Amino acid sequence: MDSASGSDIIAFLRRNRMAESDIPSEQVRPRTAAAPFDPRIVAFLCNWCSYAGADLAGISRIQYPPSVRVIRVPCSGRVDPFHILKALQEGADGVLVSGCHPGDCHYLTGNYVARRRFAVLHDLLDFFGIEPGRVTFSWVSAAEGERFAELVRHTTERVRALGPMSRLARNATARVVQ
Amino acid sequence: MSTEAALRDRCRALLQSGEVALVVGYRAARTGGNCTPAFVTGPDQAELLVLDKTCHHNLAAYLPGLRHKGRVAVVSTGPTSRSIVNLLKENQFDRKDLHIIGVPDPSSAPASNVRNAVLFDEFIGDKADEPAPAPDQDLAAFEAKTPAERWEILFADLSNCIRCYACRQVCPNCYCPTCFVDASRPQRVGRTPDRSDTIMFHVMRAMHMAGRCVECGACARACPMGIDLMVINRKVAAIVRDRFGHVSGMSLDDPLPLTTFTPEDGQEFIE
Amino acid sequence: MTARLLPKKDLPGFIAALAKKQEVWAPVRIQSQEAARFSRIDRPEDICLDYLNTKLPVKELFFPQREVMFTFNPGERSSAQASAQVRERVVLGVRPCDAAALELFDKVFVDESKTASPLAESKTAGPLADPYYKERRDKTTLIGLACNAPGQACFCTATDGGPHSTRGLDLLLIDLGDRFLARPVTAKGEALAKGLARAKDKDISLADELAEEARATMDFAIELKQLQKSLDKAFDHEVWHRLSLPCVNCGVCTYVCPACHCFDVTDEEYKDSGARIRTWDSCQFSLFTRHASGHNPRPDGMSRMRNRTLHKFCYFPKTQDKVLCVGCGRCITECPAGIDLRETLETLRDTLS
Repeated sequence: MDSASGSDIIAFLRRNRMAESDIPSEQVRPRTAAAPFDPRIVAFLCNWCSYAGADLAGISRIQYPPSVRVIRVPCSGRVDPFHILKALQEGADGVLVSGCHPGDCHYLTGNYVARRRFAVLHDLLDFFGIEPGRVTFSWVSAAEGERFAELVRHTTERVRALGPMSRLARNATARVVQ
Repeated sequence: MSTEAALRDRCRALLQSGEVALVVGYRAARTGGNCTPAFVTGPDQAELLVLDKTCHHNLAAYLPGLRHKGRVAVVSTGPTSRSIVNLLKENQFDRKDLHIIGVPDPSSAPASNVRNAVLFDEFIGDKADEPAPAPDQDLAAFEAKTPAERWEILFADLSNCIRCYACRQVCPNCYCPTCFVDASRPQRVGRTPDRSDTIMFHVMRAMHMAGRCVECGACARACPMGIDLMVINRKVAAIVRDRFGHVSGMSLDDPLPLTTFTPEDGQEFIE
Repeated sequence: MTARLLPKKDLPGFIAALAKKQEVWAPVRIQSQEAARFSRIDRPEDICLDYLNTKLPVKELFFPQREVMFTFNPGERSSAQASAQVRERVVLGVRPCDAAALELFDKVFVDESKTASPLAESKTAGPLADPYYKERRDKTTLIGLACNAPGQACFCTATDGGPHSTRGLDLLLIDLGDRFLARPVTAKGEALAKGLARAKDKDISLADELAEEARATMDFAIELKQLQKSLDKAFDHEVWHRLSLPCVNCGVCTYVCPACHCFDVTDEEYKDSGARIRTWDSCQFSLFTRHASGHNPRPDGMSRMRNRTLHKFCYFPKTQDKVLCVGCGRCITECPAGIDLRETLETLRDTLS
């Protein structure tokens, strides 16, 4: 997906609910007791560093799990906590947010401001009892293709260990029908 | 002279001289019980004003709706004045259109531990003793529970929410022309009391309170379903205090914590 | 119909007998709160009858806040499925004001004078009715609980009701200390009370005395016809600006109101299914009247507050001959700004006359 406005991001998350059919069929493993489940992770990557880092991982043919769906954003400062929660509500099992290293922001201070916001969100999710491992924040530069791949491997394994998202997910909550 | 009588005299004088067009204060309810907000426009109505232990509304919530309607005087307890500080910092009211009458918080059970107005043009009455800051034991006890227990408690409590938005409407921080839950292009959050939508509303509401909530308790008192919103608000305030050393609404000079940064901000949670 | 007696010690047995044939719903204390809400009863001891008013009125059992009208699977034709059927049930412990409000709901959701789908060849054409509401209403028997000690905010006597009113009920229980007097109102109610002992004259006169005593504690009165006439001409009066100043435009008064019945219909999609959902809406929200163009005919709090008052005390009585208020007082006790509807009506009467 290309750089998006706020409305587009929400519309994208709602329309592209992370259904099984998202994953190319040869990669789908059936969810049986024997096979571990394949987590679905939404990654918000900043245009200038982390997206380029993911690109580098791709052109360098570094292998990493096909669990992430990338949404390119102009800056990590563009990521509204609402986008993160919405992804978890609409079917993602985990969220990865990544931007430029501190000091390297294309807009000079975007990631510093984002860092404060993410800090509050991180503590708040923990307070609500939502597993901290569901949402991963990271800094990945355009030169760190291997670091990006390692981040995806690591995040995927952690979310896999946590199991499917249930607490915020829409379909898992009981409906009141009288 | 009692504080209440002095307040009435002063408001009468302000209205008589035309210094202000409106006084926002408290008056007695029809059948006793809790006080209700009063909007006094004439000197002859100043007699209505009261100040007693049931005066707990955060009157700052009315200010964004009173912009450009003449100069307004507000009877301000500690929490109300802290909210006014935030509104001024967020450019939601013109300081020169505002006359702040500081009073000590007369409430019998104040939610906030700041009782006297922190910003005022004049102070009426004797300053109340400010309670010494004490560790928040209720919050500490709640945090000592396991994540699963915390989720169960909050989820059960928030499941009672009927999405009437009383908590939002009485909050001085909630002045957005269109709240994110009302945004419909696209629809951000479902409109029904579906539990995942309700949790989304409350987590995001908490996020929007970060660095801004003055812990006045208005939302929790307004909630018709008796949801304990203050446990969430106090946690948000504690996060901001611990991480950024900021206490909301105490001074006009320090920037709002989520609009600023220092390069040294902690990032132990970032990989 | 014959009044009967139900000793309090026999209440669990009475409820257990009811539960054999149908669901039983009654007020249950909300965990950790001094309040009750209607819930399905599994054990008679869960029932809480020492409440003034339930948090939410009994309307939530007939017009739930979130009602799945039907579900569907996107991409599949004719996959719509009607929502689950409601079972026969008895609702116990309904206050007379809440029951009276259901009479008003009937006017809105069921129109006996018109026939459903005159063009359709349906052989089952009944009255024009909301099927969801009507099914719930038809399958429910209401057992009321009279108020011997009305609350500070109660004013049902001013709105065509009373603390012992039987409007809308099938059977009314009146607390006489160690026993209830059971007053059947409809055949359904009489059938429920059939097995109970007949009441003696002194029980009936005691109940009448209690009704008088309860009535005497309620002092608010207003001439509603007169008020309706003056409101009819008061749309542009400045008094609305004054009255609406304290209102914060939340939806509390409408959601806790037993007579408010406005709703919105939305479609919700999940991963591989969808649902059409009816949900409560409130005239106090700006979204209630906002057009697709962005234009809003009720752009401010004043016009929304005015609309609620006029709908209840002018528009509705004009067409239905009853005010859309039953005097339960919930809007008064729950209003975050402490607005008292009685005071609003008094101000309107005094200003407009």
